[in-house]
Amino acid sequence: MSIQYKSIKELKNMLNDKDISHTELVQETFLNIKNNSALNSFITLNEEESLKKADNLDNNPSSGSLAGIPIAQKDLFCTKDLKTTCGSNMLSNFIPPYSATVIENLENAGCISVGKTNMDEFAMGSSNETSFYGNVQNPWGENLVPGGSSGGSAAAVAAGIVPAASGTDTGGSIRQPASLCGISGLKPTYGRVSRWGMIAFASSLDQAGPMARTAEDCALLLNEMCSYDEKDTTSIDEVIPDFTENLNSSIQGLKIGLVKEFDLSKLDNDVVHVFEESKKHYESLGAEFIEISLPNITLSVPTYYVVAPAECSSNLSRFDGVKFGKRCDNPKDLEELYIKTRSEGFGDEVKRRILIGSYVLSAGFYDAYYKKAQQVRRLIKNDFDSAFKSVDIIMSPTTRGAAFEAGSKSDDPIQMYLEDLFTIPANLAGLPAMSIPNGMIDNKPIGLQLVGNFLDESRLLQAAHNFQISTDWHLKTPSGNKS
Amino acid sequence: MDKKTVSTIAYLSRLSLNEENEDKITEDLKNIIKFVDQLDGADTNNIEPLANPLEKTAKTRTDNVTAKNRKEVFLERSPKSNEDYFLVPRVVE
Amino acid sequence: MSWETVIGLEIHVQLSTDSKLFSGGSTSFGAEPNTHVDLIDLGLPGVLPVANRGAFHKAIRFGLATNAEINQTSTFDRKNYFYPDLPKGYQITQMALPIVGKGSIKIEVEGQEKIINITRAHLEEDAGKSIHDLFDGETGVDLNRAGTPLLEIVSEPEIANAKEAVAYFKAIRQIVTFLDICDGNMAQGSMRCDVNVSVKKSDAAELGTRAEIKNINSFKFIEKAINFEIDRQIRILEAGDSVIQETRLYDSVKNETRSMRSKEEANDYRYFPCPDLLPVVISDEELIKIKNNLPELPDEKEKRYVKEFDLDSSEAKIIASSKTMANMFEGACAKTDDSKLIANWLVGDISALLNKENIDIDESNLTSENFATLIERISDKTISGKIAKSVLEEIWETGNDVDKIIESKGLVQIQDESLLETIAQTVIDNNPSQVDAFKGGKDKLFGFFVGQVMKETQGKANPQSVNEILKRLLSES
Repeated sequence: MSIQYKSIKELKNMLNDKDISHTELVQETFLNIKNNSALNSFITLNEEESLKKADNLDNNPSSGSLAGIPIAQKDLFCTKDLKTTCGSNMLSNFIPPYSATVIENLENAGCISVGKTNMDEFAMGSSNETSFYGNVQNPWGENLVPGGSSGGSAAAVAAGIVPAASGTDTGGSIRQPASLCGISGLKPTYGRVSRWGMIAFASSLDQAGPMARTAEDCALLLNEMCSYDEKDTTSIDEVIPDFTENLNSSIQGLKIGLVKEFDLSKLDNDVVHVFEESKKHYESLGAEFIEISLPNITLSVPTYYVVAPAECSSNLSRFDGVKFGKRCDNPKDLEELYIKTRSEGFGDEVKRRILIGSYVLSAGFYDAYYKKAQQVRRLIKNDFDSAFKSVDIIMSPTTRGAAFEAGSKSDDPIQMYLEDLFTIPANLAGLPAMSIPNGMIDNKPIGLQLVGNFLDESRLLQAAHNFQISTDWHLKTPSGNKS
Repeated sequence: MDKKTVSTIAYLSRLSLNEENEDKITEDLKNIIKFVDQLDGADTNNIEPLANPLEKTAKTRTDNVTAKNRKEVFLERSPKSNEDYFLVPRVVE
Repeated sequence: MSWETVIGLEIHVQLSTDSKLFSGGSTSFGAEPNTHVDLIDLGLPGVLPVANRGAFHKAIRFGLATNAEINQTSTFDRKNYFYPDLPKGYQITQMALPIVGKGSIKIEVEGQEKIINITRAHLEEDAGKSIHDLFDGETGVDLNRAGTPLLEIVSEPEIANAKEAVAYFKAIRQIVTFLDICDGNMAQGSMRCDVNVSVKKSDAAELGTRAEIKNINSFKFIEKAINFEIDRQIRILEAGDSVIQETRLYDSVKNETRSMRSKEEANDYRYFPCPDLLPVVISDEELIKIKNNLPELPDEKEKRYVKEFDLDSSEAKIIASSKTMANMFEGACAKTDDSKLIANWLVGDISALLNKENIDIDESNLTSENFATLIERISDKTISGKIAKSVLEEIWETGNDVDKIIESKGLVQIQDESLLETIAQTVIDNNPSQVDAFKGGKDKLFGFFVGQVMKETQGKANPQSVNEILKRLLSES
């Protein structure tokens, strides 16, 4: 029985009905991984350990909500005794002595971490072209990028290798690849999921979340990923709801905001068409559209490109060749140790961002750039706060278009940065946001973004699930419609 | 943003740019800075900077020792160490 | 032309918490290298800091004791620089909003009191230690100290000379030890200081260019380094040159400061708010509780000693100035009544012994119990003051119990009047010529008779009884 393209829910049923054993499921998964090795979606596989866990589950059934579900973990999460590279040469030999809270939570629920997925180096990129471990191929087309930075996770789910993957999202790194690969991905409210063990890119923006075929699967995963964690003082100490509870409730009367300042006329007609179709569909489900104004949202990308590099320039200082990771060969003195190690260990995009970050924080520029950006960030957050007084969710395309060809934007950082135009605002304001497939352009999927109010993931998932039970965009696969 | 500035911030960041990428990166940085200069236009008078989207106060911990000795685990991950110390080229003060 | 010196001190006080500022790593001193290191102290990828509330409480005690503003909301910033003993490549510190704001402290130099204002006191994490001389061509890094909480106390530039600087440092040390927020152990580096020195012409309004001397950890070196630096700067200025703003290192062997310019090259710490740490808020109730539990400070102690124990103010000051001395005094007073005698011994013989060995009273073998017993044995005339000195010396050596020393050495004072009378009579009988001379008006010879009786009794005779008996016998004879 093929397991390719199966959702978590379907696999759970198969396991429950003994249509497949845990061991068979894991064996099949590794077979699929190997058959799809051309995608280059994994950096490290965890086969032996996975088979051991599956065997154990076959012998000692577990009550964990995700028992036996294979999951691909973004290689940004520390996994105890399993190599964690963050897509970088710098960490090509790094074996963490501890696991991220997200990893522990998922594994405690019974998930089997089958491997670590490829990603843009230190999560800096929107096309997975900055990985030290090579590009990831989008399963929808040979030379297409999967998006980034969680490109390996998105490609692995889209190719039906695994039903679920973890991702992280600093400026769109879950939602943009979800859109370009035709899967569902959710960035929770900042603080919903513990950042302990996530290798930090920009600490005030980073948030981990689920990537899966359906919104329903995202809800199942989010139920387990979330926890209040004393080890992360920015994790939120609030009751965590059952995110699956309201999935099937009607969205009659849901107020959806459309952002006046997003000038969709600048997008391709196809993209606009797909978006308009989704609006119509939501209207048919009983939702109501309200135009809202987020006057400062057009400054999101420049704000982000001050805040994120500033934080990253500091966060990445620990990679100095002294305590862990790579060190250059035969440094003649300390200075050379630092400079050579870091220059050899980091790729160009990471260097660019570190340099920008150092620049905007340096004496004489701090007020003009960093402080200014943090002030604009507050303005953007205030805009959202007032918008959410009149709407329940805010809707836009996730991306400006479908997947593009590798190499087509990698020469121009600003073009690449603008990829994240629609996704960045939610990170700046710390709001939950998700992307679900809502159409095809030239046989390439594209996604719809839903942004929710603080801690309101349930409503996002409900809106997404309502869409998915009445459409089939999420069922499309690179090898045809899913049966 | 010129080559001199780039070389200063590169040193602060302990990065060196080689001849091939120096010009390209300088040009990129120039463009990025020009791009973020858009922020100048925003009226931010009396606006408190927002450092973290959670406008909450920190949870703290009580003063207890919880760590165990993991010296071997840590030192074996180090690029260079002996049985007691992480090692770097001699620093002259 | 006269020159005026302006000095400011930044004192780093290691707070005596059990665990580190942002991790559960132990702060205890002297462990094997790298054994008190947590994932967080190592700065492993993915780790996050969690602030230690105990460190805040200790910092607040300092603030309250120096009449400082307490910022009930304080925040953390990152200071970015590379050094092998700084694992994350940044130090977490409080730049923008420190826990303790403006305060002040009183110092005393040669009998003159002066108030030194304190700009701020902020929490930050200590770095590890780099060991430069142990390995061939390599520096070893020990991260045990990395993350230990420091309170950096920054003075206003109001200190006029090296003596005032030392007095200020001592005043800070006194207060932090009294508050029990730091062990004050200079040799272990529990207190270190950076000194900013500048020199200007007396009539100049503007401050001169300053040099910062880093990381001095003894009173003596503070004084020497400042005096060297003042001379150096005056020499430069008198030669018509200008002082360079820079960081300098004090070399105690050569007694000179020298430039650390290499380390300073292009230094730009790029401070910014630490995105991992939200603001820490101290509630009103918490603050009141800390205030109510604040220990008595030296000034208050001194006043109380004069009032309650009837000490002279000079004695009270000496005892109250040291926490361990004050503890010894109060401990002994709790057990026996003669507080003046206790004070006399502390200020006299005990202080002399401490000075001789250059130790603190809690490093000696003397306990308050044993000390109280010693005082009691003097009061109840079991031993004389003179014998008491030898008992004290014995305690100093061995720490043995006072009563056991007295018993085993047979030091009990001879109180038996008839025995003393017999001995005194024998002395009189054996020295007829001295008796005659005494009677002939040589009063000073009385001391001779006392001495002889003491000699016969190996010093154990009660001197008062001996005096009375001799007076009587000599007048009768």
